[in-house]
Amino acid sequence: MIETLAPFHGFGLGLRKEHYGEFLAQEVPVDFVEVISENFMATGGRAMHTLDAVRERYQVAMHGVSLSIGSASGLNREYLSELKALADRLRPLWVSDHLCWTGLGGTNSHDLLPLPYTEEALDVVCAGITLAQDVLERPMLFENPSSYVNFTESSMTEWDFLRAMTERTGCYLLLDVNNIYVSGQNHGFDPQAYLRGIPQDRVRQIHLAGHSQGEDLLIDTHDAPVCPEVWALYADACARFGATATMIERDDNIPELDELLSELGHARAAALQCQGVAA
Amino acid sequence: MSLYLQQREFLDEIAADDDAPPSSPGMAVYRNAYRARLSDALATSFERTKRWVGDDAFASASAHYIIVSPPSRWSLDDYGHQFPEILAELFAQNPEVGELAWLEWHMQRAFAAPDQAVLDLAGLTLAADQGFDFENAPSALVGSFATRIVTTACITLWQDLASDESAPLEPPMLDNAAALIVWRAEFAPHFRLLDPIETRALEAAAKGHSFAKICALLVDLVGQDEAAVLAGGYLGQWVTAGLLADTRSA
Repeated sequence: MIETLAPFHGFGLGLRKEHYGEFLAQEVPVDFVEVISENFMATGGRAMHTLDAVRERYQVAMHGVSLSIGSASGLNREYLSELKALADRLRPLWVSDHLCWTGLGGTNSHDLLPLPYTEEALDVVCAGITLAQDVLERPMLFENPSSYVNFTESSMTEWDFLRAMTERTGCYLLLDVNNIYVSGQNHGFDPQAYLRGIPQDRVRQIHLAGHSQGEDLLIDTHDAPVCPEVWALYADACARFGATATMIERDDNIPELDELLSELGHARAAALQCQGVAA
Repeated sequence: MSLYLQQREFLDEIAADDDAPPSSPGMAVYRNAYRARLSDALATSFERTKRWVGDDAFASASAHYIIVSPPSRWSLDDYGHQFPEILAELFAQNPEVGELAWLEWHMQRAFAAPDQAVLDLAGLTLAADQGFDFENAPSALVGSFATRIVTTACITLWQDLASDESAPLEPPMLDNAAALIVWRAEFAPHFRLLDPIETRALEAAAKGHSFAKICALLVDLVGQDEAAVLAGGYLGQWVTAGLLADTRSA
């Protein structure tokens, strides 16, 4: 029986090596840090020593990129075992990954590849989630991806797929507001309809990030500040989902920590404002 | 079409050669991201090797590697594990390239290798006090240990390529090929070249032979008197260096 997740409504940043020193030398004003699970799985030495030291001072959320929950060839048991070992060591707030597939039958693209939203894909994804949650002995969070292609085979929207996933498996959602905006622009759906389609009681974390304009499409690059349109959508998300743990996600062009803390302050203020309106 | 076949086709398209145009702007995004991510991973893992062979040659070698060795492991950090071999083939007339890449790769892998109990002097003493039969117990080297035979002064090259400013000369060939070893002690990766006798002794330790068997091997190689001196010296050196795993609780 998979347990429910305790409520947690803090504001956090991704832990990136550029900022390790500051997180250890001072009390950085965050409620949690998010680590990329694969960076610390089956790993030792200074990196793991640093993470243990960070864990002593901050709450940690684990965020993975290689579970490949939608792979038609199934989950990698060795990967799951290493993920479980890391989760047992860190005692994280939660363990998350993406609604995507990254590889097939021993090949790993190291990218978050899109799924057709079909009944067959839903069966594959839900079987994977059930297995992963059983092995980890905790419910997981799954993040909505940015995507650049649509599949004619899809028989449901992404938000309907996410809702069905949560209903069948008891998993939670990590809502990436930037990804909703990027995919909405790329595929022409209404982000408000997306938000309305997400079950209110399943969202446990929100990601905020920047993107860039590609030749034909918006690209989820995580290399820029959050744009005004995504801030506006975040306010809408706060209004719909209430107080929700929120994180600024930056993976490239990583700025000084103060700049990210300033963005996080913006998120706190936006969330507070929504709560004030709601009250 | 089944999901499996659909995913197979998707992977084939993003990993295809440049000659085959992507089927849509979206597929172009995935294809470009695939190549860029793998190229970046190689450039990060083999920063000094790239500096040595030059950007263009490194880019060509990376493009070749991405085609012949698609990623199979779940950590991107592991992607370059066969790249030193490929570089050795591509730069067959420049043996320092493959050797430099091997050293660079294993120094990084040693840095992040899983932690394990190491047999130190205190542990060795305690084992003796507790009656542990160390002499006849199987040896075990730490998991970060790696070794290969080198023919060039790739160590000097690796050191000289630490910064962008350096312009090292082509490294000389060694007088004799020698075993290069890499391992981690505490948080720091280490390397050194071995002489032929220590090479044989450490090979035996790597195979799990007991210290008694290693001593017998040394007697065969150098005779009784010198073997006693060498065996004590090697054991002290290996323990001090953190090369031996502590397997007593295993």
